[in-house]
Amino acid sequence: MKIILFSDIHSNLPALQAFFKDIDKRDYDAIYCLGDLVGYNIWPNEVIEEIRKRKIPTIAGNYDFGIGRKSDDCGCAYKTDEEKANGAISISLTNELINDENRAYLRTLPAHIKVEFQLNNDQLNLLLVHGSPRKINEYLFEDRAEKSMIRIMEQADADIMCFGHTHKPYHRIFNTNEENTSHFRHAINLGSVGKPKDSDTRGSYVILDIKENASVLDKESISVEFVKFEYDIEKAAKAVEDSILPNGYAENLRNGY
Amino acid sequence: MENSNNIYFSKEHTWLKIENKTGTVGITDFAQGELGEIVYVDLPTIGDEFKQDEVLGSVEALKTVSDLFMPVAGEILEINEELMDNPTFVNDNPFDKGWMVKIKIEDLDEVSNLLNSEDYKKLIEK
Repeated sequence: MKIILFSDIHSNLPALQAFFKDIDKRDYDAIYCLGDLVGYNIWPNEVIEEIRKRKIPTIAGNYDFGIGRKSDDCGCAYKTDEEKANGAISISLTNELINDENRAYLRTLPAHIKVEFQLNNDQLNLLLVHGSPRKINEYLFEDRAEKSMIRIMEQADADIMCFGHTHKPYHRIFNTNEENTSHFRHAINLGSVGKPKDSDTRGSYVILDIKENASVLDKESISVEFVKFEYDIEKAAKAVEDSILPNGYAENLRNGY
Repeated sequence: MENSNNIYFSKEHTWLKIENKTGTVGITDFAQGELGEIVYVDLPTIGDEFKQDEVLGSVEALKTVSDLFMPVAGEILEINEELMDNPTFVNDNPFDKGWMVKIKIEDLDEVSNLLNSEDYKKLIEK
């Protein structure tokens, strides 16, 4: 079973279109979107409509949560005054652009999707969240202590936990060794389709392959492929510059941070 | 800023309130402000012993995780169980409902390595 997972489009329509073009030439069985459709660019409606057109099961990101409730808080945990001031422009523009129907769609997005596999007389739980199981806007960076990651995954009963929010892709495997038997848990950050921050300007997404022998006992039985795709970065960056959005967001796209 | 004269501060932004040989430990208002919204507090087990400046646990905020350092050596007598369900008590009341552990202080002399509220204030204003 090949599952495509993507997130953090952030109103970047050229990136989303290139993503669809890339996946349309592949074989896959299922697709999920892990949220943050809107914010930081001028196409929130178009991005939502493309995803709705394809009827992709989608969960809410923190930005979607905020816009769905017409809030001026995107839960972005900005640190500096400059980040806060820029962020305020982005959320206010998004609130202004979005139409009622799309706002209602964002508002009704679920928080999590849990997919339970029952293969080989075993159970394998795939949990899809935006930030973390406990907080929609928690950042699980790659350097998070193993102890903390394991605690989070055990509490959520997740064998494979997929998430986004940091815009930096990674895959970590932990052996939680239950009752003297190996129990491998996978933490997979998808990266970002429309606002990458891993110094690679291309968009990124994941193909998760659950093989017939997939099990928590065998870490090789679950494979994770990170796919990078090119898109028209200039078009997305120019759109930022031609709007009231801070030009820094265009530079972010051109530099991948 | 908490001002009473039996409260001491470490350079690692924990506070220690002393009553006889029992100390209550938490993080300062400055520390919670720097961390932002706290999501989880990882605390030790009752009976664990730590040296001064040793890591006794950690605080997980939305964007960062920070170690918790023992202000003076001692044994853990009690942990604030309420933080398990309400970690944001640390943001809302760092000196009160947001306390983290109670300890049996091993050596009161170690308090001399800590700062009083005035000196701590100077440290964070730097």
